[in-house]
Amino acid sequence: MAVLSVSDVGISFGGLRAVDGISFGVEPREIFAIIGPNGAGKTTLFNVISRIYEPSTGSIVFDGRDITRIPPHDVVRAGIARTFQNINLFDNATVLDNLMLGRYRHHRSGVLRQTLFTPFVRREKLADRRKVEEVIDFLELGKYRDVLVAGLPYGVRKIVELGRALAAEPRLILLDEPSSGLNVEETRDMVFWIQDMRDDLDMTVIMIEHDMSLVSAVSDRVLAMSSGRMLALGTPGEVQRDPGVAAAYLGG
Amino acid sequence: MKFYKKTSYTEDFRLFRDGAAAFWYALLGLALVAAPFVLPAYYLSQLVLIGIYVVAGAGLMLLSGYCGQVSLGHAAFFAVGAFTVAVLEKHGVPFLAAFAAAGALSAAVGFVIGLPALRLSGLYLAIATLAASFIVTEVIVRWEGVTNGASGLNVAKIRIAGWIADSEPKLYAIVLAVAVAAMLAVRNIVRAPLGLAMMAIRDSETAAQSMGVPLMRVKLAAFAISALLTGLAGALYAHKLQFIDPDQFTILVSIEFLVMIFIGGIGSMHGIVLGAAFVIALPQLVAVAKDYLPAAVAQQSGLQAAVYAAVLLAFILAEPTGLYGIWRKIKHYFSMFPFYRKGSLRRAKSFAKSETW
Repeated sequence: MAVLSVSDVGISFGGLRAVDGISFGVEPREIFAIIGPNGAGKTTLFNVISRIYEPSTGSIVFDGRDITRIPPHDVVRAGIARTFQNINLFDNATVLDNLMLGRYRHHRSGVLRQTLFTPFVRREKLADRRKVEEVIDFLELGKYRDVLVAGLPYGVRKIVELGRALAAEPRLILLDEPSSGLNVEETRDMVFWIQDMRDDLDMTVIMIEHDMSLVSAVSDRVLAMSSGRMLALGTPGEVQRDPGVAAAYLGG
Repeated sequence: MKFYKKTSYTEDFRLFRDGAAAFWYALLGLALVAAPFVLPAYYLSQLVLIGIYVVAGAGLMLLSGYCGQVSLGHAAFFAVGAFTVAVLEKHGVPFLAAFAAAGALSAAVGFVIGLPALRLSGLYLAIATLAASFIVTEVIVRWEGVTNGASGLNVAKIRIAGWIADSEPKLYAIVLAVAVAAMLAVRNIVRAPLGLAMMAIRDSETAAQSMGVPLMRVKLAAFAISALLTGLAGALYAHKLQFIDPDQFTILVSIEFLVMIFIGGIGSMHGIVLGAAFVIALPQLVAVAKDYLPAAVAQQSGLQAAVYAAVLLAFILAEPTGLYGIWRKIKHYFSMFPFYRKGSLRRAKSFAKSETW
C-alpha cells in the first residue's frame, strides 16, 4: 500500500505545461529519487505536493487522505515536511529558533494562553525543546545552537533546514537537492542521514537530486523527468540504462 | 566579560536572562514607583506620555518589528481607542468597562484593516493601512452625533469605583500599570510559539507556511493584538489630554509611532521604551535648540518634522539597529575592554534584508 500516490498530476503556467500527467506511488520507508535535467519540472512537482501550487489536473493522496485541495499550512500537519532548493530559513533567528519553528504543527495553545505564558505553554515549549535537542544530536548541530542563521556557511544552513523539517516529525520528507552546494565530506554525511531517517526515524523520503552517485547509493527507486513528463521509473540501474533518459541528458 | 553557561532549557525563554538582569529590572521598577515622589510635576507628566507611547509602541513593535507588517495606520487605532473611551464615559459607562471596550473595538478595527494584509506586503501594505486610517478619521469627523465631529470631546478624569485619578501621580500609576502589562504581554507572545511564527512570517512566508504556520490567522492575530494595545494607549491618551479632537490623530502620529520603534531598535523589546522616550523628548530638545538657532531657521513651522526626518535618516544610514543597538555596543565595549573591535558586534540588519521593508 503506497503511502503517497500521485495520479495524473499536471500544472500549467499560461501556455507552459510545467508538469504533465505524472503518476507514481511511494511505498512506506522507501527512498524515492526524482532526477531530470534543469527545467524538467521536479521542483514544480514538489511545490504541487506541498500545496504551494494548485495542480490543474490530477490528485494527490497521502496516507489514505486526499490532500490535493488542503491549505498549504495543513500539509505539514498531515505529516509531510520539506526543504527548499535555495535554502529558505528564517535568517534573523538562531538555529535553535529555526528548529523550534519546525515544531509549530504540534502546538495546541491559543493566543490568550500564549499571551499569559501559562504553565501549559511552558510545558509545550519544554517538550518541543527536548525533541529539537534530539534533532540537534542527530545532525550534530550542537555548536551552532545559538548562532544566527544569517552568519552560517552554506553547508551548515543546508543541514539546519533539514533539521527544521525533521523537527516537525513528518512521516514523509521531501528533500529538494539535499547535496547541492555540499562538499564531498558533507555529501557523505547526507547519505548516512538519509539512510538513518528511514531506518531509525521510520520516514519515507522523496528527494530531487542531481548527484547520481548519491542517488544510486541510497535510493530504492528513481523517477526520471524531462519537460514536465515522466521518462522512466524503476531502480537506479534500470533508469540509468534507459535510452530515453540518456537522450534527455545528452541530447539525441 | 560574562560567560553564560546554561544548565536548563527554561533559560532560553525565561523572562529575565539571569539574576543580575532581574536585579536591574527590579531596581528600575523601584525607580519608576518612586518617580512621583521625587520628580517635579512637569517631568512626571512627560513620564506619563512616555508610558502611553510605550503601550502604543508595544503594539506596533509586535506587528512591524516582529511580524514584519508595516503599518502607517496606527493613528487610527489610537483615535478609535480615545474616542471610544470618551464617548462611552460621556454616557456614564464606568472607566474600566469603557477602557476594555476601547481595546476591543480597536482590535476589531485592526482585524478589518488587517484583512488586506493577507494579500499585500511592504509598501503596498503601508499604503493600504494609511488609506484605512484616513477612512477611520473621516468617520470620526462625520459621525457628529456620537463623536461631536471636528469640535472634539471633553474627557473626564479616570474614575474607578469612587476613586478618582484627579492628580498626575494617580494617572501615572494607572499608565505605569498598563505599560508594564503591555510589555509583559508582548514579551510573552514573543517567547511563545506565536511570536516565533510571526518572526518566521517576517523572514520567509513560504517557509513559515510550509512549516505549518497559518499565514492568515497569525497575521490577523498580530494586527488585532497590535491594534488592541494601540487602542488602549489612545484611551489613556484621551484621559491625559482631557480633550480630544480628530486633528490630534493625523498621519503624523502614525509616522511618529513608526519612527519611535525604528529609532528605538526594530525587533527589540528595549527599543519600544527607548523609542518612546526619544519621541517624547525630541520636541523638548527642539524647543530648547530653537533659542540657539538663527531666527530664520527657528521660526520655520516644519522644524520639528525636519529634525525627525534627519534623525531617522541618520539612524538608517549609521545605526539601523537603533538606540538599542547603540546601548548594546556601549555595553559590549566596556565588558570587552580593552579588546573591543569595530566588527565584533555585527548584527544582521533584519529590516534591510527582509523584503517587507
